[in-house]
Amino acid sequence: MFDRIAGRALVPVGIVVTGFLIVCFVLLYSAIKTVVIKDSVGHANNLAGIILKSTRYAMLKSDRELNSAIVQNISQQKGVEHVRIFSKTGVVAFSSDAGEINRQVDKKAEGCILCHAKNQPITTLGNMEKARSFKNSLGEDVLAITTPIYNEPECSDAACHVHPASQKVLGTLDIGLSQEATISSLSSIRGEMVLFSLLTLILTTAGVIALLKMIVLQPMRKLQEYTERSESDSNLEHPHNLPYELDKIARSYYFIRNKLAEAEHQSVKTGTNLQ
Amino acid sequence: MEQAENNRTVTASDTASDTRASLRQGILDEIRGLKRFSNRGLFALSLFLFVSTLASRNFPLLPRPDKIVASLGPPPTAQIISLVLILYTFSAIILSLCRMMAGMRHKSSFCHVGYLSVFYFFYYLADGLGDNYWAVFGAGFTILLMESYRIWTFCNDTINKKNEQLAYLERTGRLPAEDSTSEY
Repeated sequence: MFDRIAGRALVPVGIVVTGFLIVCFVLLYSAIKTVVIKDSVGHANNLAGIILKSTRYAMLKSDRELNSAIVQNISQQKGVEHVRIFSKTGVVAFSSDAGEINRQVDKKAEGCILCHAKNQPITTLGNMEKARSFKNSLGEDVLAITTPIYNEPECSDAACHVHPASQKVLGTLDIGLSQEATISSLSSIRGEMVLFSLLTLILTTAGVIALLKMIVLQPMRKLQEYTERSESDSNLEHPHNLPYELDKIARSYYFIRNKLAEAEHQSVKTGTNLQ
Repeated sequence: MEQAENNRTVTASDTASDTRASLRQGILDEIRGLKRFSNRGLFALSLFLFVSTLASRNFPLLPRPDKIVASLGPPPTAQIISLVLILYTFSAIILSLCRMMAGMRHKSSFCHVGYLSVFYFFYYLADGLGDNYWAVFGAGFTILLMESYRIWTFCNDTINKKNEQLAYLERTGRLPAEDSTSEY
């Protein structure tokens, strides 16, 4: 295979095109995945903000019934896995799962440890830092956002349940969103990219093979057949329509062949005359 | 007088025979060297596969990325590393193809293993190794396979040339005029 022109030309082309395509494919997919995940985290943060705004009035009025209703209604929306509101001490105050209410959460648990790693908890987090991914009991991927509920002047001044103004964080909201749609979109993008990469690979290889055959291999075969046939037929004309370089070789071969035939003819003639 | 003439003839014949033997030995040594050199690409590829195995296990011998980041400072983002990886892969392939066209003897394989290990390390620090592992692996495998192919074809061609020189030397007692000096 490697001693033929086709093998020598196609192996490097095959390696280079396939390898570079794979590298570009993986990096592009990784970049798209990052953008899609950032986008879903952004959406989840917006949703968390909407929930906080929706529950704000009920919290100011300390209306537990209204808060529970809001949390329950939001959790019934398709794609919402869970909604929880924790108090400052880590007790579940409101939850979409009634069994979780009044349960104490460990500060070392995933989603809490990020802020509670040190003695003095962190009170501000970036969008991506608020997010965490995990698999639920059904094995589905969930994106969860834990966002702090900050103390505001209205909260510290409220007549019903006063929080001291020095308390920066009143509690946290934890919302879990199903990643099914994101994973399905990523899988669809991946499938399309694999298909396009394969088509590009096939097209490039087929193009190189076709050009190589048309420009190099077929004229070479013509030249080869000419040299082989001219061994038995010295009057054979050299092939026409060859590329410049091969045409020069064919003409040189034709010229040498004729000179050799002339010399042979001359020597036969001389031999006959001598006899 | 006749004895001295005979002695001179014998000495000249011995010298010619010595020269031929030394030339022959030189060519055989070069062929042996080329055979050893032709495996260089495969050794580099094996070393890269070893580094890739370590990378796939998240470098168990290295300290955790946050410790390294705390002492060295933050690494570039995964996107910047990916951009540099694309540029590096493209230039390495172009360089390899140019060397192949020029028929150059170049021992570049092992330095590529070094560059690729650095890419693995930076992705490890930027917490992007999981997503970009196959990109570095693909890039490394392509570049080192190309280098192996280049080195292997170069060595094969040169060994064939050396064998022709050896046959010419055996026939005539001297090297062919155009190939009397090594070309690489």
